[in-house]
Amino acid sequence: MTPALALRGVEVRLSGRVVLAGVDLALAPGELLLLAGRNGAGKTTLLRTAAGLLAPVRGTVELAGRPLASLGRREVARQVACVAQETALPFPFTAGQLVLLGRTPHLGLLAFESRADVAVAERALERLGLAALADRSVLELSGGERQLVHLARGLAQEAPVLLLDEPTAHLDLAHRALVLGCLRDLAAEGRALLVVSHDLFAAGFANRVALLAEGRILAAGAPLDVIRPDHLRAAFGVETEVIATPAGPVVLPQPRR
Amino acid sequence: MWRVAAGLLLVVAGPVLAAGAAPSRRVVSLNPSLTAMVIALGGREALVGVDDYSARSPGAAGLPSVGGLYNPSLEAVVALAPDLVVLVPSAEQRGFTERLEALGIPRLVLDPVSFDDVLAAIERIGAALGREREAAARVGAIRATRARVEAAARPLPPLRGVLVLQREPLFVAGRGTFVDDMLRSLRVTNLAAEQPGHWPRLAREWLLAAAPELIVDSSPDPEPALSHWSRWPSLPAVAKGAVVSLPVGVATLPGPDLDAALLTLAAATRGEAFVAALRAETP
Amino acid sequence: MRRLTPGRLAATLAALALLLLLVLALGLALGPSGLAPREVLDALAGDARGASADIVLGVRLPRVALAAGVGAALAVAGVVFQALLRNPLADPFVLGVSGGAALAGIAVLALGSAVGLGYGAVPPAAFAGAVGTVLLLLAVTGPAGRVSTTALLLTGVVFNAFASAAIVFLASLAGLTEGAQVFLWLIGNLSDARPALAGWVAAFVVVGLAVTVPFARALDLLALGEDSAALLGIDAARARSWLLLASSLLVGAAVSVAGLVGFVGLVVPHALRLALGPDHRLLVPASALAGAAFLVLCDTLARSLLGGRELPVGALTALAGGPFFLVLLRRSQRVGPRP
Repeated sequence: MTPALALRGVEVRLSGRVVLAGVDLALAPGELLLLAGRNGAGKTTLLRTAAGLLAPVRGTVELAGRPLASLGRREVARQVACVAQETALPFPFTAGQLVLLGRTPHLGLLAFESRADVAVAERALERLGLAALADRSVLELSGGERQLVHLARGLAQEAPVLLLDEPTAHLDLAHRALVLGCLRDLAAEGRALLVVSHDLFAAGFANRVALLAEGRILAAGAPLDVIRPDHLRAAFGVETEVIATPAGPVVLPQPRR
Repeated sequence: MWRVAAGLLLVVAGPVLAAGAAPSRRVVSLNPSLTAMVIALGGREALVGVDDYSARSPGAAGLPSVGGLYNPSLEAVVALAPDLVVLVPSAEQRGFTERLEALGIPRLVLDPVSFDDVLAAIERIGAALGREREAAARVGAIRATRARVEAAARPLPPLRGVLVLQREPLFVAGRGTFVDDMLRSLRVTNLAAEQPGHWPRLAREWLLAAAPELIVDSSPDPEPALSHWSRWPSLPAVAKGAVVSLPVGVATLPGPDLDAALLTLAAATRGEAFVAALRAETP
Repeated sequence: MRRLTPGRLAATLAALALLLLLVLALGLALGPSGLAPREVLDALAGDARGASADIVLGVRLPRVALAAGVGAALAVAGVVFQALLRNPLADPFVLGVSGGAALAGIAVLALGSAVGLGYGAVPPAAFAGAVGTVLLLLAVTGPAGRVSTTALLLTGVVFNAFASAAIVFLASLAGLTEGAQVFLWLIGNLSDARPALAGWVAAFVVVGLAVTVPFARALDLLALGEDSAALLGIDAARARSWLLLASSLLVGAAVSVAGLVGFVGLVVPHALRLALGPDHRLLVPASALAGAAFLVLCDTLARSLLGGRELPVGALTALAGGPFFLVLLRRSQRVGPRP
């Protein structure tokens, strides 16, 4: 089966420095892949490259078999939704309006949103438990709620590939569970999800885990195959103890004595 | 208002101050009109410094400049060791006057707004320079000319007019100014006199509604006056062709040659024939 | 879910257009010479002779048209700058284009008579200054696509400071009569309203809107951030370039004929955003209409309040803009924002 998203031998430089040194990664439809690694390992760069914001110096990015570089910007936006850490939004958009912005790739230049578009946006809000906040200004929401709104915006794009950068950061326990459950459901519905997260517990929700270190994929595979003390030592430089539980691996960093 | 009060005070105090003092030998003038008065009264040797606007006039050639009209340099003034500084109390120079006072430098503060103010200023400067005779002669000549002009203009029909100092924004000569006085001597009703202020800035609409029969245009704009004012053909002055250009400063700087200014204004408002007849009268 | 529908857009714009028409009528009817409405209508119909024809057609009509154009230009530029700089308190003078226009205009005002240039040379000179500044900004900061808004802002701030210093220097060199002109220009003044100027500004407004309106949705997305905008399918760099160019030219055109009229570009878009919501598909055309109405109103007051004397319009925009804005801000805090 053609992968929904594939990076083949991708090398990316930023300001002359090599950040990704030949990354091979494939994401199948219906798969949730967790990407982990040190701060500065290049995870965000990988996401941005997969989304088309950065052009690789070598290698290709393919969306459902088509080279990303050959697609127009709007087409890319219809195929890939990327939700990253948001900077402050200074204008009083309501949650609903913000989520509706996610429908832009499907609209014409001067077109207005149709009822169908509004329905998609409302569904996205419901999925993330935000229906009650639809008409509230985002400036009044908490940081966590805002994050969920941005995630809903990504969902509203209805793209087959979803790239998420730290979707559970700043979220309380309940919302973390909500988001992870939602992501798993999306995967079950056939979407391909690439999730960057420090939350290794989320590996329990993932189909596969990949570790990024020194610009390369150190290991990729089933969660318990990848999340092992030797891999974690190589990727993070810390000693750990990993406890396998039915819900997912629990990683206990061992402090240096 | 405070200018009037200050002026009155000085009119009272001035002669007291001047009477007992010896004629000034080192005079700094900070206003071109006052500079012109000093020179016209024969006081050129007594002048040791002027503002840079005055310095541009031919009579003051060679004199050191002490700075601009709005920002004279106190240091430059003091360095010239004057025994008298003559100035007009503009807002910018108010603080300057106080500093001169603090340094004990004698000042003569004049505000020649109306025609009589200008004559009084000539007399005060004459007194300060010890040239009362010359001052009296000059003032007398001006008064005589004015009397002749008024007499000649009395039988003429009044003209509704306005003197424009600047076209855009519209500045005109207002009530209480020497220009206003000269216009009245010529039996010209100064339409701007109904508005408050000496040199008011007025709306173009006001001018159109006032419908002057005569426009004396003394603005520095290079476009010819008639072509500019012809943009509003409803103006009676335009319809009659009664738009006259006067070079800047000829009738609008209150200097010692007010009689010449009055005659120039007379020619502009009442025609060359009027002035020729006036000249023919003098022996 | 509350959102902007085509119906709501049309209704709001129609209401604002009606308001503008009302204000335009008021501007034609009011003035220091107190013409009766009958006379005004006659003059407009071409049936009047004499002073009222000149007053209505030669003074009020071009002035009202000019005020409308300048107000629209500044308000639209303000909306765009606030979105591009992601700051609801940005005003259209912040990038330095107005500084360049002011510098060139005041140079001609202060020194022009020495080389035979009259007051009529000021608008073209000021516009040349604006264009020159835009080119300078582009040259210094690189193609707008690859420069950060911080760099643009800093360059603008520095340039404005330089222009201000140069203006003060030039003003001190100005002769007796030019001083007043310089002051009025710096505050914002519409008293020299010639029909040609009104037409020129109107042309810029039309072109500016033609460029900006299609990018209205892009402005919403750019408010999210350039990356997010790009990820939603917008060519962010191209959008920014076009929007910056169009707004800078709008500012240049407005400032070159009216001087530095403050507050319109800041208060009108901001107040509209509080009242109508942040959707730029509505904000951009609404700002044009409301900006026009606001400035026509201020200018009508400026020339009618004091009998024969005239206030510069910039004094009124400042006086009116401030409290009006505070009232709106307080109301929005209490009621809560609407979409």
